[in-house]
Amino acid sequence: MRPARWKDVAFEQLTRLFALLVLGILAAILVALVLESRPSLDKFGLAFLWHAEWDPVQERFGALVPIYGTLGTSLIAMLIGIPVSFGIALFLTELSPAWLKRPLGTAIELLAAIPSIIYGMWGLFVLAPLFQAHVQPALIESLGALPLAGALFQGPPLGIGMLTAGLILSIMVIPFIAAVMRDVFDLVPALLKESAYGLGATTWEVMWKVVLPYTKVGVIGGIMLGLGRALGETMAVTFVIGNAHQLSKSLMAPGNSIASALANEFTEAVGDVYFSALIELGLILFLLTTVVLALAKLLLLRLARREGARA
Amino acid sequence: MEAYEPVARPVVQVIRPSARSETPPVEELKPKIRVRNLDFYYGAFRALHDISLDIPEKKVTAFIGPSGCGKSTLLRTLNRLYSLYPDQRAEGEVVLDGENILTTKQDVSLIRAKVGMVFQKPTPFPMSIFDNIAFGVRLFERLSRREMEERVEWALTRAALWAEVRRKLHQSGNSLSGGQQQRLCIARCIAIRPEVLLLDEPCSALDPISTARIEELIHELKSEYTVVIVTHNMQQAARVSDYTAYMYLGELIEYGPTDTVFIKPKRKETEDYITGRFG
Repeated sequence: MRPARWKDVAFEQLTRLFALLVLGILAAILVALVLESRPSLDKFGLAFLWHAEWDPVQERFGALVPIYGTLGTSLIAMLIGIPVSFGIALFLTELSPAWLKRPLGTAIELLAAIPSIIYGMWGLFVLAPLFQAHVQPALIESLGALPLAGALFQGPPLGIGMLTAGLILSIMVIPFIAAVMRDVFDLVPALLKESAYGLGATTWEVMWKVVLPYTKVGVIGGIMLGLGRALGETMAVTFVIGNAHQLSKSLMAPGNSIASALANEFTEAVGDVYFSALIELGLILFLLTTVVLALAKLLLLRLARREGARA
Repeated sequence: MEAYEPVARPVVQVIRPSARSETPPVEELKPKIRVRNLDFYYGAFRALHDISLDIPEKKVTAFIGPSGCGKSTLLRTLNRLYSLYPDQRAEGEVVLDGENILTTKQDVSLIRAKVGMVFQKPTPFPMSIFDNIAFGVRLFERLSRREMEERVEWALTRAALWAEVRRKLHQSGNSLSGGQQQRLCIARCIAIRPEVLLLDEPCSALDPISTARIEELIHELKSEYTVVIVTHNMQQAARVSDYTAYMYLGELIEYGPTDTVFIKPKRKETEDYITGRFG
């Protein structure tokens, strides 16, 4: 054996240790969350998930409002963020003149680097008043009158609320999703695109029917990255969601998300049950993101099957 | 002992059928595409110098020449593929059926539907074999399910691929071998019923057997299509083409019936290249 061989062995063991550390930390967090939320788990059981009550005085807690708020704001963020990001990535890879590519790309990366608290402050002091004065009244007037979906857009225009939080979130996730989409679109072989153009396809047809299917794994990965950020985002949401433990059909009404409930209430959580109810919220957020990731994997498998990749 | 008899016919036919010697001069045939005084620029770099030639209808025309001579560039002006890139431009005339496609107001998609192209490497789209063929058709025509199935079968049959894929039409196009993928790409082109087929080194990524199959296919296709092929492989040009253009450094050096160009070229440069004394 060469004398230097032991370094190889040591290096291999070291990298293995690092990799296993990730699993270890994940398991440790899960165990800690479960242990700490025991009092709440024992007291409320599964009903915690669908009770909307949040009464620290009588120590009766239910997670429905923050769960709804977390999922709702993230959904809004994705509904706005995904198409916009796709547009940005499409423009950057296919349509933008060369001199504009770099400044635009850098601007998007800078957007990702802005700390979330700044988004929160901007949302509260700039976006929310604008929203209250102009956008929300218009939405209430127009969409609020619709038969079924109208309920989502009724009530007083407060500026803050689920819709504003979702919008802020969408601005925060766009740089992530757009940057990933741009990178994977750039990896598509020029010949593949030329073949599609060569058949007479338009830019839209090439992007939508060839580039997107070709890059779907990367695109879904980028969306998941954005969704992960949206689900767990704390500061920016806390500023604009309203932090009210009330369930409302309207997106204009203030609500609460898991992360902002935790941020707001930890300091004042007195008593085992209150404290552990908050920990259980954390546990739910943890599981929620895991489930979202698992669903993404399933989606990819189904897409692969539909394409007939099982050769 | 029985005499050895080859089971299959020769894979590569170097010597062409005798009918070849009757190839008339280009001028006597009806041109499908007329190229006149074509200059081409990549930014400031001039890649083609004053090219003029006629590509005869329903014949196979080959562009040969060393790398960088502009043969692929010339091919890419014939369907205006270069116009995807803002820094590339062509000046002069490329007249397809009487219309200059460089300046026409006609939608470029319609030109490309008429002038199909197959590339150096197989480029199956990330979808099933069936959808690969249907993709182009759906861009231009609304067909019923039945009509589409017929069209797909027709195109695959024409590209000599039907027998190999008929039972796996719904598998991914990527599951095929390289040679099959390239025939899939040819079928995909044929499916939208073009009049001209541009082949840009279609066999450069293929093994000799797949290459022979593609060459056979080119023979069969020329009864219905005007075929233009760019190739690095001079034997291939000699085998498949009726007319050959030799290009060097962006200029058209010699153009004529393939037999003439290969057997008694008019220009010394052509002879040097063909006989390998190039450079």
